[in-house]
Amino acid sequence: MGSARFNEQTYYEILEIEPGAAQNEIHLAYQKAKSTYSPDSPALFTMFSEDEARELLDLIEEAFETLSNQARRKKYDASLAVRHSSKQELPDLEVTTDNEDHSSSRTDTKNSPGVRVLNKRDSVPEGFAKTKFSVYEVDKDLEQEIAESNEFDGPFLQKVRLYKQINLEQISNETRISKSYLSALEGDDYEALPAAVFVRGFVVQVARTLGLDEQKTASLYMTKFKANSGK
Amino acid sequence: MKQQKVEKSKYLHLRGQKKPKSHIIAVGGGKGGVGKSFVSSSLALFLSQMGYKTILIDLDIGAANLHTYLGLNTPENGINQFLSTPHMKLMQSKMDTNFKNLELISCASDALETPCLSESGRSRLMSSIYNLEADYVILDLSAGTQTSTLDFFLMATQHIVVFTPEPVSVENTYRFIKSAFYRRIKRFEFQLNLESEISMIMGKKDEYGVRTPGDLIHYLCKHNPEKGSELEKLMSQFKINIILNQGRSQKDLELAPSLESVCRKYFGISCELLGQVEYDNAVWQSLRRRKHLLVDCPTSRLYTQLMSISRTLTKPHHRKAVV
Repeated sequence: MGSARFNEQTYYEILEIEPGAAQNEIHLAYQKAKSTYSPDSPALFTMFSEDEARELLDLIEEAFETLSNQARRKKYDASLAVRHSSKQELPDLEVTTDNEDHSSSRTDTKNSPGVRVLNKRDSVPEGFAKTKFSVYEVDKDLEQEIAESNEFDGPFLQKVRLYKQINLEQISNETRISKSYLSALEGDDYEALPAAVFVRGFVVQVARTLGLDEQKTASLYMTKFKANSGK
Repeated sequence: MKQQKVEKSKYLHLRGQKKPKSHIIAVGGGKGGVGKSFVSSSLALFLSQMGYKTILIDLDIGAANLHTYLGLNTPENGINQFLSTPHMKLMQSKMDTNFKNLELISCASDALETPCLSESGRSRLMSSIYNLEADYVILDLSAGTQTSTLDFFLMATQHIVVFTPEPVSVENTYRFIKSAFYRRIKRFEFQLNLESEISMIMGKKDEYGVRTPGDLIHYLCKHNPEKGSELEKLMSQFKINIILNQGRSQKDLELAPSLESVCRKYFGISCELLGQVEYDNAVWQSLRRRKHLLVDCPTSRLYTQLMSISRTLTKPHHRKAVV
């Protein structure tokens, strides 16, 4: 379709920066792009539909996730160079090797299974519970596992999030933490995360949104983070 | 009829080959009241003050009022006389202003009927503008997307679009740029013999997935690489400058870089922000005193903002002192 062209742009073109751009330039470009293509941006009026804007916004997010992480950026640059030298038609950008974690985050924002917007009056049927964003079926075994767990790592946070049928975008909107950090948090990608003091703040906010015990979750996550990240 | 077409095609390749005798700047914008006349008169004032011989042309036929911005009375002579008198030269219809190096060609008229701009009149006017001898010629265009307005806009060497941070203005600005873009393609499609192909694609836009002007060129490049890339090359020379006017808040001013980015993504053309101009009540207060803001109120913040835009405009032509 019309927006297929955006898929063919490189991450650098999407963020409108030079391939050699410094980290701070990437960050500035990302913030500018995000404010330009947010659905309520006046600059989009009559030009891009809401769906197109969302698609672009996802691409911007994806571009930032890759370019803001040194290791991933290096890999991506290498894949670009290969593509350039073989002069093939530009393949789909998601071919880059270590995209699994964030491509999954993209799919679960789009195909979020039956997330309903709740009215305050909505009552929850028996055997179900609700969060600010969703209604989910209570799984007693999992509830117990959450209560008794002595280890809170990324995948476990993701498990809880998926169980409660909340998607990354909702958490990102609520906590104002970018989706790239959220998926790094869930993927235990310590390299992509900032210093420990910030990560602790992120975990507290995510735990609060997921309805978990903030202090317990944060201290358990941070123990693991400090042991493995060297930060 | 057929003979006429042959004649036309004989000379068509010359289009765009002949260089104008001055640097022509067109100031346009889809909506009325966004400040096209204010911006063009301010730029003209600064350029003339910098020592460049500048001619300001009011092309808002039927609603001309650039003379009022410059504090002049309704001129007796102007484009209307030029159009109605067969052998008159455009140079004869210009008038002096109160400013050194600045001349005005107005089209205000007190005649009973405003002359309609015929196609032959338009081309005569355009070629006369092309041959005006000056450093800078600034065209103040009318609102809307009539073909004559678009043609005047496209004939310039530099294209400026003025807009204000309101949805109606943003919408009209996009429409204006889009119309100018398609008009430009239309001009080249005949040269490249792409008429039938483009009209076929535009007729089945949805089927081919062509939603934006950029898509059209992209599609052509894929299916007719030779001519498509030639058209792409020609269109890549088309650059637009934008100026945000009447910004009232920081958020308003931030809209300008966003618009710049959307234009690039949507049209795939180079779009550059020349600068932002804030809202200032002094503009209409000066106008009531029938003086230009830059003369009446040089302490206004707009003074420096407009000056910096003018300096950006002249950067490639800066005169350097030789020692």
